[in-house]
Amino acid sequence: MPTPISVPSSADAASGGAFGASAPAIKTRPLSATWSSWLREPLLHFALLGGLLFAVDHALVGRSDDPHTIIVGAEVDCEAKALFKASRGREPTAAELKALRERWVDNEVLYREGLALQVDRGDTAIRERVIFKALSVVDANTQLPALVDARLRDWFERHRDKYDEPARYDFQEAVLSGDNSEPAVRSFVDALKAGTPGDAQAGLRVFKGRPHANLLESYGAEFAKTLEESAPGEWRAVRAREGSKEGAKEVWRAVRLEAVTPARPAAFEALRSVVQQDWTDAVMAEQRTAAVRALGLKYKVKLGEAGR
Amino acid sequence: MQFVFKQRQIALAALAALGTATMGTAPVATAAGKTPGKYVAGDFHNHTTCSDGILSMQKLIKKATDKVETPWGLDWFVQAGHGGSGNRNCTLVEDESLSTPDYPFISGKGPTTTWADSIGAVNVKGNISGTTTPLNTQANPSMWRWQSIQEFQYPVVEYMSALKGVPLFIGMESVVAGHEHGSMSVITGQMPSALDSATLPASGPYSALGNATALAKWSYCFDRNDGDTSRGGGQGWDCSVTGSLNAADPSWSATAAKLVPATGTGTGVRGHAKTVEAVKWMAENAPLGSYYVPAHLERAGPFNPDGNNGYNIEHLRDFNNAAPMVAFGFETQPGHGASADRGEYYPMRNNIGGVLVDSVGGTTYGGTGVYGAQIGGVWDALLGEGRNYWFFASSDWHNRGQFGPDDRRSTQDFFPGEYQRTYSLVRNGSDKLRPQTVVDALRSGNDFSASGQLIDRLSFVACAAYRGEETRRNEFVEAAALAAAKNNTSVNLPGCATVGEKLVVRPGADIVVAVVVRDPSVASFSPYTFDNPSLKQIGISQPLNMPVLDHLDVIRGMVSGYKQPGSADYAGQWPNTWLANPDLATVPAAAKNASAAVIKTFNRTGWTSAGGDFLKMSFRIPAVTATQYVRLRGSNLPAAVPFETDANGNPLADLVTNASNLANLKIACTAVGTTEFNGCPAHMAVVNGQKYVSYDVAAWSDLWFYSNPIFIEVSGAKVVAGVR
Repeated sequence: MPTPISVPSSADAASGGAFGASAPAIKTRPLSATWSSWLREPLLHFALLGGLLFAVDHALVGRSDDPHTIIVGAEVDCEAKALFKASRGREPTAAELKALRERWVDNEVLYREGLALQVDRGDTAIRERVIFKALSVVDANTQLPALVDARLRDWFERHRDKYDEPARYDFQEAVLSGDNSEPAVRSFVDALKAGTPGDAQAGLRVFKGRPHANLLESYGAEFAKTLEESAPGEWRAVRAREGSKEGAKEVWRAVRLEAVTPARPAAFEALRSVVQQDWTDAVMAEQRTAAVRALGLKYKVKLGEAGR
Repeated sequence: MQFVFKQRQIALAALAALGTATMGTAPVATAAGKTPGKYVAGDFHNHTTCSDGILSMQKLIKKATDKVETPWGLDWFVQAGHGGSGNRNCTLVEDESLSTPDYPFISGKGPTTTWADSIGAVNVKGNISGTTTPLNTQANPSMWRWQSIQEFQYPVVEYMSALKGVPLFIGMESVVAGHEHGSMSVITGQMPSALDSATLPASGPYSALGNATALAKWSYCFDRNDGDTSRGGGQGWDCSVTGSLNAADPSWSATAAKLVPATGTGTGVRGHAKTVEAVKWMAENAPLGSYYVPAHLERAGPFNPDGNNGYNIEHLRDFNNAAPMVAFGFETQPGHGASADRGEYYPMRNNIGGVLVDSVGGTTYGGTGVYGAQIGGVWDALLGEGRNYWFFASSDWHNRGQFGPDDRRSTQDFFPGEYQRTYSLVRNGSDKLRPQTVVDALRSGNDFSASGQLIDRLSFVACAAYRGEETRRNEFVEAAALAAAKNNTSVNLPGCATVGEKLVVRPGADIVVAVVVRDPSVASFSPYTFDNPSLKQIGISQPLNMPVLDHLDVIRGMVSGYKQPGSADYAGQWPNTWLANPDLATVPAAAKNASAAVIKTFNRTGWTSAGGDFLKMSFRIPAVTATQYVRLRGSNLPAAVPFETDANGNPLADLVTNASNLANLKIACTAVGTTEFNGCPAHMAVVNGQKYVSYDVAAWSDLWFYSNPIFIEVSGAKVVAGVR
């Protein structure tokens, strides 16, 4: 039975009560004012809310999942048997099943103790897994707009660069060993034009069907432009960059354009199923991003020192 | 009983989850009188539960050598876990299928069972680290590796070798004083010839005929993580090295009879000095029966004088100077090929003096560390001295990441032999493969390493041709190389030298260089059958399990002689800025060889098919006047494959296929399949719904082989040390 809260009466207070007349007068407030003050007390709010939450949690969790009760259900046996059979090719014996159950219980104990100790905190792998599962929930709530042919065709046109077959260039490089200076390469190119075989020095590299983006990435813009504008069959000394980075070292190369396969625009009809899949992926990705951003609105993001 | 985790236990659990100058000459067989031999594939760096692997000895040996269930089974195998200690008994098998008469499966026990729960804590020998308190006063002691090797692991290796008829021995990945790790072994006592005719007992315990006491003693004496003071649990071990300071060294512990360098400032310097003593000990006690090969030596960053990090070139020189027949190479192509960070190399990996420092080179390059992959870098600097210093690859098997050990997919390691294979020419005549002939083969330098079964045969030969010598036409040498390759051996002709050897010529000689490789047309050990996404970028459709050698480069460097200790060009650290600015101009003179360059590149326009998947090619180096060397590399990737190779065919940084940083990923994997193997698998890294080349797919996409060099010494010019 709860202990009643004892509140002094106004009469006692007025008479000085047990302290007698000699006691200093105690200034009191009316009962309603005292109650009002208590009810505004944040500590009381905290205690009451905490108690309520504890009671609700106890009622719910106690019914469904007592944290100190481990139930080894049929699904545990099922999974254990399946795993065992997959690795050994037979059903486990009773003793083996018992050992598997014990292993499962040991793991469950460790899992619960670990969670209680918050060992999942700061673990990138666990964070990634939780993100993945949360994203799955988000995905489950996304809905594709109706698939209309016009919409798909419009999306295809806006992303045509993904589907059009780029122009491709077949070319050869007669490789020099060591000296890649302009004079050395020009001299070698003169020899090549005069009939020296392409592999006369360090060998002949043969490139087939390389698109513009590849030329740009590996040799730089100047090389790509010069090669692409070359006449097929003619050895040329071409300046190239060593890699895609700005400021990369420049070298000269002896190259010969062999053939060009012109660019071919993609046909929507031929690629319809591929485009549909890509469109689905893209729309899902857009919706997923929007959904996550919407969830993010309830968070205040502050940049730490390093983030500024 | 209330069971409560303590903070320390959690920390340990987290760690467990994470883990994981006397210049001499080395003898090499002469061209004449060589014992015949064949190239055989092996691995000498891998782990069991005795250190931080996940398998028993028996299961790992089966996975590494069985050629039926695991078709990548190797010809020889060295089991080699970390030095130090461990509390798990890796000799207990996982299940009935691994049972043997002497090591049967014990229900309820396995390779993660502790020593305390298997042999009993009372039987664990030695002392608690740095004390004289016996280890067996602890309830769950970690056994020192020396005891584990001597009493438990070696007997299993010997037994399995005899039972299965496979060439095995035991080594170690030492935790190196002053540095990170090193692959090593001392084979003295292992696999005695008496084993050839032994009858194995019908039940255990197995009593070994040989022993690994020398290796165990080395582990006690020189491994950084061995803090035991018991002198081998009463065996009275003394770690002195003849001619060294030993007891007069300030680091000497009279109790432990070994060097115990103080920690703190100068740790790296003192540790390195101890490791130089370690290789001297090997040279003294097992001059032809040991090897010392720094492992994944770029991973832990540069050398740290106040800690235990990586190796600079001067440390490799120190080891090779102290013991040229022992410290004859490096493992610059690391294992962990399917890891989220290939080779476990990555930027800002290492905290050195409070500053985060990259693995040397920042990452791997086509799976190889920058010391070996960069033309004109550290390896060429060492070869440019005329040193015998060889390239090795290893699996570093621990586990398969998010997959079980029997899964074909991996986000961490490959099994020994599955991806990287080091082929060594073992000159054993008609004898079986034995530890001694395998170590001889490693030391000879007649080795090549290939990833993803890019090639499985190589014959590489250089012959002198003087004016008027009609027999030394290119086609003659090519034919000799082809015959050798078809016989899985190397050319043995007067006036010619093969891999690891030296050809001495008069000034003005032409050198005929011939190469024959076999590019197997059968499926590789890759489980994936969809097209290589890296090659897809340039319009090539080639299944990941059917790689084709695209080209082969011949790299030449000039030999300028040994750098002298103390000279300005003896020591020099590879620049920490390499990833951002990979320019040899930033590399100190000590660590580079500016003369090294590709002098010939062969591809389908330059080589000739010789039938049976063999490709042959040759060229001449005209009128040599200076001592030099030639070596080979090759790849399935042509030059100028975006994010994989540059326009000169060099491997680019693997950062763009490392899943640890999704922002770096560049190569899309778009193959859609019906299984995890005929389309891009689910475990690949995904960015905005797109799978990207990463993990094991990255490794299977990007294949390389490297051969060791052939030296050409011109009479009267610089001398190549060590090789005949």
